Amino acid sequence: MPTYDRETIESLIDGTLPWADARAIMSSFKDPGRFDTYVAILQDRVPWEDRILLPLALHLYIVQKPDGARVVKCDCGHEFGDYHANWKLSANVFVRDSDETLQEVYPPLMHSDPDWIVLREYYCPGCDTQLEVEAVPHGYPVIFDFQPDLETFYSEWLGREL
Amino acid sequence: MSSRHAPRILAIDAGGTMTDTFVIDEKGAFVVGKAQTTPDDEAQGFLSSSRDALSYWDTTVEEAFPSLVTGIYSGTSMLNRLLERKGRKVGVIVSKGMEDYFRLERGVQSYLGYSYSDRLHVCTHQHNEPLVPRHLVRGVPERIDVFGDAAIPLDEEAAARAVEELLDLGVEAICVNFLFSYRNPAHELQMKDIAEEVLERKGSEVPVTISSDHYSVRGDFPRLNTLTVEAFAAEPSRVHLRSIDSMVKEHGAHFDLRIMASHGGTISIESRELARTLVSGPIGGVIGAKWLCDHIGVENVFCTDIGGTSFDLAIITGGEYDVKTYPDMARTLFAIPLVEMDSVGEGTGSFVRINPTSCRIEIGPDSAGYRIGTSWPQGNIDTVTINDCDVVLGLINPDYFLGGDITLDREEALKSVQDQVAAPLGIDVYRAASGVVELFEDGLKNNVLSRIMGKGYAPVNYTLLSYGGGGPLHVGGIAEGMGFERVLVPAWAAGFSAFGCSCSEFEYRFNASLDLPVAPDISQDEKEGLVEMVNGQCAFLREKIVEEFSKSGVDEGEIVFRIFVRMQYMGQLRDLEVRTGFEWLDGPESLDEVIRDFEDLYAKVYALSARSPELGHLITQVVLSGTVEVEKPALPLEELYGDGPPTDASKGQRDVYWRGDWLKAGIWEMDRLKPGNRIAGLSIVESPATTLVIPPGWSAYLDEHWIFHLEPGKGV
Repeated sequence: MPTYDRETIESLIDGTLPWADARAIMSSFKDPGRFDTYVAILQDRVPWEDRILLPLALHLYIVQKPDGARVVKCDCGHEFGDYHANWKLSANVFVRDSDETLQEVYPPLMHSDPDWIVLREYYCPGCDTQLEVEAVPHGYPVIFDFQPDLETFYSEWLGREL
Repeated sequence: MSSRHAPRILAIDAGGTMTDTFVIDEKGAFVVGKAQTTPDDEAQGFLSSSRDALSYWDTTVEEAFPSLVTGIYSGTSMLNRLLERKGRKVGVIVSKGMEDYFRLERGVQSYLGYSYSDRLHVCTHQHNEPLVPRHLVRGVPERIDVFGDAAIPLDEEAAARAVEELLDLGVEAICVNFLFSYRNPAHELQMKDIAEEVLERKGSEVPVTISSDHYSVRGDFPRLNTLTVEAFAAEPSRVHLRSIDSMVKEHGAHFDLRIMASHGGTISIESRELARTLVSGPIGGVIGAKWLCDHIGVENVFCTDIGGTSFDLAIITGGEYDVKTYPDMARTLFAIPLVEMDSVGEGTGSFVRINPTSCRIEIGPDSAGYRIGTSWPQGNIDTVTINDCDVVLGLINPDYFLGGDITLDREEALKSVQDQVAAPLGIDVYRAASGVVELFEDGLKNNVLSRIMGKGYAPVNYTLLSYGGGGPLHVGGIAEGMGFERVLVPAWAAGFSAFGCSCSEFEYRFNASLDLPVAPDISQDEKEGLVEMVNGQCAFLREKIVEEFSKSGVDEGEIVFRIFVRMQYMGQLRDLEVRTGFEWLDGPESLDEVIRDFEDLYAKVYALSARSPELGHLITQVVLSGTVEVEKPALPLEELYGDGPPTDASKGQRDVYWRGDWLKAGIWEMDRLKPGNRIAGLSIVESPATTLVIPPGWSAYLDEHWIFHLEPGKGV
């Protein structure tokens, strides 16, 4: 069973691990301590104290508040509210639905047809970091990417109670 | 000569870390020398290695070299140049629009050489560093179509400009590869003329090579790779080879050094196409097996080579091995012939792990290689390997590994197998080790069976030949229940691959794509026309072969030519190689004979009822082989003694855990056995380089050629 030191996991997170090492990790069995090491590194990097329960996406975490609430929180500290609700609903949105706006990010003729597909970009109201992008038809409901079953994940995969 | 041995043949295998030298005498006896490889001046490593080998026969390089009649080199330095991307600065000119060959790599090169699980695991796929960076690739407008007609003329201005630009960037070689140039080389030839004009004007002597001149075959990407590697890695290697050759001559040798090429023959170091020698080591065993078949009168052999990292398999049918036309090596597709061999990532050094999700044993694909396993503390390996399990079971003698040069730690093996395998499975450590070995052998068995059955043959018609350091150790497990006609283990199994290289012919093998359709209802006149076209291509290949041999001072009259025709049914995708005994095709009857042979071959490889002559045939390639007689090793031949081994060969008994039971195994010293002896299982025959395990219910007969015959049910 492989084990990796904290430094290796840190460079994995930063994307600075040499390819051969990264591939070796991908091709091996998952190291049993990975989740805890990974979360510990992220915990050290955020400027706030709330305990990270699960990394949700780039820049986003589900954290434990002192009052018992479990909320989605950004790197910058902005809180989106309870994780059972889609955080995107309280994010800032920018929609690219014209050739003009699409061509700010794509060369001409290499983007989707705005009559069919739009790009919806979600930004953090606290730090303006782009958190997610959806490519969807007009009027498509806001996608709820991921609502984890935290209790089961902790009890059955990590082998401890939340 | 002071020595009792008269050295005749020298074979050098220069690996990445060690250079092995084999010196063979007129009776087939041989010695092996080892020395560290000296990459900066390979001649030095080779010389030390030869000195080491000859010291066993109490002779010296100066004394022995003049009596040698032939010398063969195989090595990995060219392959390393390719792997490390340390070669010449090459500029490439292709058909306009195709400039991204090296970045796209036809997709497949991003996962070549991966294990099956990683091939499915897409996020592990990764492009290689391009052989030639994009800024050194130029596209020139032109197009030859699939029929060989010029659809777009060559843009001469753009052609000249491309050459000029590449020269300004300081390239050391230029390779030209246009689409369908194997159909019609006109544009490549025109391109070469233009390039030469530019070179002359600029006073430059950069070599320009065109694909149709070297590798006139279908498949533009493998063809380009081969041409590029030739300029990139092969030419620098030639410099090294020349220095070895002149060093050998300085020490009194009278022969030209030859190199092992991937098609199974040896070629001159002055050969025009040195990329053909990129991979040679692993095929040595197959060449040796063919040589052995020819000598002991066996036609069908299944070759198995169990090494530290891999299990290599090859089939010899009717005394001939198959040749692949588009092999891959070092994650690169090539258009050169390679002896067909399958390699599975399971060897005696393979790691053994318990999958935490399924709680099942998994073997490989990675391995400890020469570092053996946890039982060799100096190797710094902390994962259990097959070797460790063999040590636990008592199959490997920890005090006699590599003749005692290395002492293995049985306690450590027990501990690691216990901790890593037995404990998670909740079973006894011996049961666990035995289970791992059974699983390992079953895996190998399945591979053997699928290869044989996949070709439409059955084990009962084949002789299983086992070699490699781990071959004799596990051959019993593989052969059990398979019903092979014979099971043979040469006493020199550990050095068989390297030895095999010295058994190869002096042979050039060139091929060219033809794509000639042969309709089912074709007239005699039309057949005559096809025969002429095949012969025309042969004449082109023949000229190349004669030219190559002339570099070694061989006259055309001494060369034995043979035409092989690769063909398939019209509309099918895989071709088969029909080996004729002809030097030229002679009239429509010879074409009929080739087609008849193809039908027979197809019926053997697939099924009688799958033959479909009504589709017509397609001659895809014509292959010409030119061979010249050279000195090959003699098969050892000794007087036969009786059944009973001499008493001093016995090393007593040892407890061995065999499939759930503790058994007493007789231990024998291989070098003290006499030809004619028969040993009953369970026995273990130890030699410095390998260990032969004879399972219970089997016996091993040592014949007059020093080959063990493993036979079921024959006790003493």
